[in-house]
Amino acid sequence: MTRLAALDSGTYYHHRTLYEERYRHFFDAVIYARQLGEVRLEDYDILLVSCRTDPSLLRPHHEKIAQYLAAGGTAVAMGSTGPHQWLPGVIWHDRPTNFWWWKEGGSLGLQCVDSDHPLFGRVTLQDATWHYHGFFDPPQGARTLIAAGGGAILYEDRVTTPGCMIVTSLDPMYHHGSYFMPATTRFLDGFLPYLKTDHRPRL
Amino acid sequence: MGRCLFLKPIKGAGGDLPDIGGFVEDAEQIDHYRLHEITLRDYAALLLPAHLDQRYFGSIAAGITTFLDGGGTLVFNGHVAWPMLPEFNPFVPLPRVNLEQLQVHRLTAHPVFEGVDMQDLTFRRGVAGFYARGHNPPPEGAIPVTGLGPARAPCDWVYRRPAGGRIFMHAGNDLWMYAGDACSAARIVPQLCDWAGGAAEGDCL
Repeated sequence: MTRLAALDSGTYYHHRTLYEERYRHFFDAVIYARQLGEVRLEDYDILLVSCRTDPSLLRPHHEKIAQYLAAGGTAVAMGSTGPHQWLPGVIWHDRPTNFWWWKEGGSLGLQCVDSDHPLFGRVTLQDATWHYHGFFDPPQGARTLIAAGGGAILYEDRVTTPGCMIVTSLDPMYHHGSYFMPATTRFLDGFLPYLKTDHRPRL
Repeated sequence: MGRCLFLKPIKGAGGDLPDIGGFVEDAEQIDHYRLHEITLRDYAALLLPAHLDQRYFGSIAAGITTFLDGGGTLVFNGHVAWPMLPEFNPFVPLPRVNLEQLQVHRLTAHPVFEGVDMQDLTFRRGVAGFYARGHNPPPEGAIPVTGLGPARAPCDWVYRRPAGGRIFMHAGNDLWMYAGDACSAARIVPQLCDWAGGAAEGDCL
């Protein structure tokens, strides 16, 4: 069984997402983000960097994370964690967030790019639709899973390192943890089982 | 009036959060993880963001207690999840989410909400649910200021601590999210700073 560790920033929304009954069983370890330096990452197949984890806590450990990826680990960077600051090969374009597209009669414009990816056996495009805060330029050879705004808002990179990086600008843990936006709960209902059961680590 | 110290949210919180810059005079902001280095007695009030590392804040509770004992005012936004101060109790979400439950009601007149129409808190661009979705249960002796739904769940309360100092609790997003709004909720930020920066003598309201 895939060993999944998640970072906890001590926020209320991480507490609800990581410790409450709905999802707690998915996590083999919950690591306080400020103690990341004390943890043996090689004990886990996947490191889930929870939404809105402070990048200033992650930057000092970018070499440790790079070594983890070099050994075949999987790093998952959720939304608003600034992964371009601590993961290799990440190119980020910050964009103003449109929280109100659904009131303005338009659509958010998400596109499912790679419907054969096993994630979409768990998560629908509707489950990923609330807002995004910008997009990424994935490196050549990476699989863009969801696109919007001229780039990727969820992609999987198995080419930059011997490991795997799943990078997204979606922040479901924040909104689920705030009792807000049901789509974010549906996203986690599919995304966490995908990571735990379907994802193929390269370790 | 004393100075207000705003703690910045954790940096991962993003650029989509409210900023008090330009809306508040005589206030300072500091980076999140510098709070333990600050001499709090230089300030009248400490205002905490909802994007708070509550484990960190709980680890420096002794210094916060000293600040309160000395007559300081603490403003908390968000859901209580981790042990921090004895006056804080874990967040209780609404039993269900519908318009009736999300309606914000004034329970006690308070300077922070003077002239604020509760409908402007219940609705944001016509949508309910931004203000609060539950409450952090108050300690005995606290005064409920606003309440949600038929049960009037106290999503805002104030408390004068017997040992000194005041606590203003808001169980939702940062109250300064309304800074510069076109509606009456824009009154909250200056009124909150006036109240928090005022002398903590007499009635806790």
